[in-house]
Amino acid sequence: MLKVTDLNVHYGAIHALQGVSFNLQEGEIVTLIGANGAGKSTLLNTISGLLPAVKGKVEYLDEDITNLEPQKIVRKGIVQVPEGRKIFAAMSVMENLEMGAFTVTDKKLIADKVEEMFAKFPILGKRSKQLGGTLSGGEQQMLAIARGLMASPKLLLLDEPSMGLSPVLVEQIFDTIQSINNSGTSVILVEQNAQMALVIAHRAYVLETGKIVLEGDAQEVLQNPMVIEAYLGVS
Amino acid sequence: MNKKLVSPSLKRGLTFGIVMIIFVLIDLDVMVATMLSKLFGANVIRGSLPDVGFMVLFLILFGMFVGWSTSSDDAKPTTKLFQALVAGLTLGVVLGLFDLILNQLIVTGTDVRKYLAALAPESIRLFLFDQGAISPLLHLGLFTVASLLGSLMKILLKSESASRFFKGVKSGYQGLQAKAQANTPNWVKKYGKFLLFLLIGLLAFFLPRIWGSYNNYVVGLVGLYVILGIGLNIIVGLSGQLMLGFAAFFAMGAYSVALLNAPLPHGIMLGFWPSLLIGILMAVVAAVLLGLPVMGMRGDYLAIVTLGFGEIIRILLKSDLLTSFTGGPRGIQDIRGPTLFGQSFSSDIDYTYIILVVMVLSIFIYKRLERSRTGRAWLAVKEDTKVAQATGVNIMTNKLLALCLGAAFAGLAGGIFAARNQFTGPNDHQLMVSMNILSILIVGGVNSIPGIILGAFTLKGLPEILREIENYRLLVFGGLLVVMMISRPEGLWPATRPNIEKDEGNKLKEDGAPGKGGLND
Repeated sequence: MLKVTDLNVHYGAIHALQGVSFNLQEGEIVTLIGANGAGKSTLLNTISGLLPAVKGKVEYLDEDITNLEPQKIVRKGIVQVPEGRKIFAAMSVMENLEMGAFTVTDKKLIADKVEEMFAKFPILGKRSKQLGGTLSGGEQQMLAIARGLMASPKLLLLDEPSMGLSPVLVEQIFDTIQSINNSGTSVILVEQNAQMALVIAHRAYVLETGKIVLEGDAQEVLQNPMVIEAYLGVS
Repeated sequence: MNKKLVSPSLKRGLTFGIVMIIFVLIDLDVMVATMLSKLFGANVIRGSLPDVGFMVLFLILFGMFVGWSTSSDDAKPTTKLFQALVAGLTLGVVLGLFDLILNQLIVTGTDVRKYLAALAPESIRLFLFDQGAISPLLHLGLFTVASLLGSLMKILLKSESASRFFKGVKSGYQGLQAKAQANTPNWVKKYGKFLLFLLIGLLAFFLPRIWGSYNNYVVGLVGLYVILGIGLNIIVGLSGQLMLGFAAFFAMGAYSVALLNAPLPHGIMLGFWPSLLIGILMAVVAAVLLGLPVMGMRGDYLAIVTLGFGEIIRILLKSDLLTSFTGGPRGIQDIRGPTLFGQSFSSDIDYTYIILVVMVLSIFIYKRLERSRTGRAWLAVKEDTKVAQATGVNIMTNKLLALCLGAAFAGLAGGIFAARNQFTGPNDHQLMVSMNILSILIVGGVNSIPGIILGAFTLKGLPEILREIENYRLLVFGGLLVVMMISRPEGLWPATRPNIEKDEGNKLKEDGAPGKGGLND
C-alpha cells in the first residue's frame, strides 16, 4: 500500500533521514520505534507532505506522492495525527471533529461520521460543546485521533499517541488503535512505548539516527536481544 | 491609629495630588470641566471657559474617587473613614501648596505659557475658583469633605443591606423580564427582529436628513472605520496574520478613485462607481503582490514587513518621482462624487446613505465568511498551522484569500473616503491610520462586530464629538488602552462564540478519574 524507498530528508543542518526504505501492506499496523531524535516524526511528516524529501520516493497505492502538498495527500486518504495532542484549543470538540472532515464536502457524511465518533468515544459526545483546550490530556488525545478518523483515512499516521498519558489511558489508546485497524484502516504507529506498540503491531522497524537498523515481524522484534536491551529495558 | 494605616493613605493622597497637579499643568482639568458642563447641556463656545461650578463638581468627583479608592474593602467603617480623611487631607495640603504657587503667578502677572503652552492665566483662575488667596483653604476643605463623602458612599453601597437591596432589584428585574417575555404576543416574537430592523432602517433613512451635516460627517467617518475594521479583522482576527500597514490598501482605493475621477492630474473622469470597483481591484492586486512573498512569515516578522509596505506606499505617493502621476505631497483635489440614475448623489446625506449601506453589506459578508468553511479554515490556520495542514487545509491559499478580502474592504472604504472628502493626499494614509484601525479592533474586541462598531465610535466618533479632547487625544488614547488592557483585555464587547459552553466545574469533577467513560470500553 505504502512504499518508501531510499528517503533522505534534511531538517535544517541535520541529515535527519539517511536513506530510509520501508513498506506497509494494506490492513497492517506497522510500528516505527526508536529513541528521541532517531527520525520517526520526520519520517511521518515527510510522508504526509509537511517536510520535503531531498532524495528518495514515497509511493502510495502505486502512485508517486513524494513532496506532494499536504492537503492533496490528505485527500488521497493519508491522515496524520500529530505528536503531542495537537487539537484546536479554541474550537469546541464538535468543531474540531468537523475540522477533521475539512476535505469532505458531503454534509450528511460528516454528520454520520460525527455520530460514529461519538459512539466510539462517548466522552467526546458528552463534551461536544466544550472548548478543546478545556479537555483533560486523555480526552484531548482521543479527540486528536477522532479528528484524524473524520476524513475516513485509508492510512492513519499516529505520532506518539501515548505520550504523557497515564498507564490506564495508554492501554485504552492502544485498544482503540487496534479496533481502528480491525475496521480496515492501515496504521503507521510511531512510539516510544515500544513494548505496547510491538504487542499490537504486525510488523516493526527500528530507527536509529536516521537509518533503519532492524525490521521484521513485531513478535520477532519483540524477542530481539538488541531491542530488549535498548528499548524495552532488561527485565 | 497605627502607622500601617496612615502611611498608605498618605501615599495615595500624595499620588493623586501629583496627578491633579499634572492635570492642571496640561489644562486637562478645564477640559474635563467643559465636558461636564456639556453633559449638563451648557453650550460652551470653543476657546471659552466653563462655569466655575463645573470645576467645583470635577474636583468633588475627583476627591470622592480618592476617598472611595483609599478605603480598603475589608476595613471597618470607622477605619475606612479615617483612611479617606488622611488621603483627603494630604491631597488638600498638596494642592493647597500648589495653589500658593499658582496664586503667586496670578498676583505677579507672570504668563507661563512660554513654558507650558496650555496653562493660561484664565485656566489657573478657574482652577482657583477665582478666589485668590483663600483658594488653598477652599481646596483643602473641598478635598477632605469629598474624600469623606466617597468613603461614606463606599460604606453605604457596599454594606450588606445595600447588596441585599441590589440583589432584590436584580431578581425583581429578571422576574419582570421573564413575565414580559411570557406576555409578549406571538406576533411580536415572530416579527420582533424584523420590526427592530425596520425601525433601525427607518431611523437610518430619516436621521441623516434631520440632524445636519456635522453629524453626517461623524457618522460617515465612524462607518468608514467600521468597514476598515471589518477588513482588518478578517486578516488579523480571523486568519491570525498581524498586519500593520493596512492603510496601504486604503490608499490604493482612495488613489484609484482620485486618479480616475478627478480633473487633475489625468482627467480621466471615469465616473465614481467604476473607479470604486477598480479601487477595490487595485487593493486586491496590492494584497497579492505583498502576500505572495511574505506568506511564509508569521507574527512579529510579518508585522514588520507589512509596516514597511505601508510606509513604502505612502512615500511613493508622496515622492517627487511620481508627482506627475500621483500629485505628490499636494495630493489630488476636486475628486468627483457618485451619481445615481444620472442624478448627482454626492450630498453629505447621500454619502451617509452610501456608507451605511456599504457598512451593512460588509457586516453581512463578514458574518457569512466567518461561518463558512473558509472561516473555519482560517481559525484552524490561526491556531496551529501544522495541524491545519494535516487536516487538509491549504495554508497559502487561505492566508492569501484573507489578505485579499481584507484589502478589498480597505479599498472600498478608501474609495468612498476620497470621494467624500473630494481630496486625498499622502497624509490621509499615514501609519497612524493603520494603528487607529488596529486599535479599534483591540479596544472594541477582535472578531466581534458590535465590538468593532463600539471601538470605531470610541476612537473615531467620540474625539469628533468631544472636540475639547483634541489636544489630549493621544493622552486619552494611551490611557484608555492601558486601562482597557487591564480591566477588559478582550475588548469592550468581546466576541462570543455560539455552540460553546464553559463547563469548568463539570470538567474538574471528572478529571479525578481520567478515562472514565472514555474510549470504546
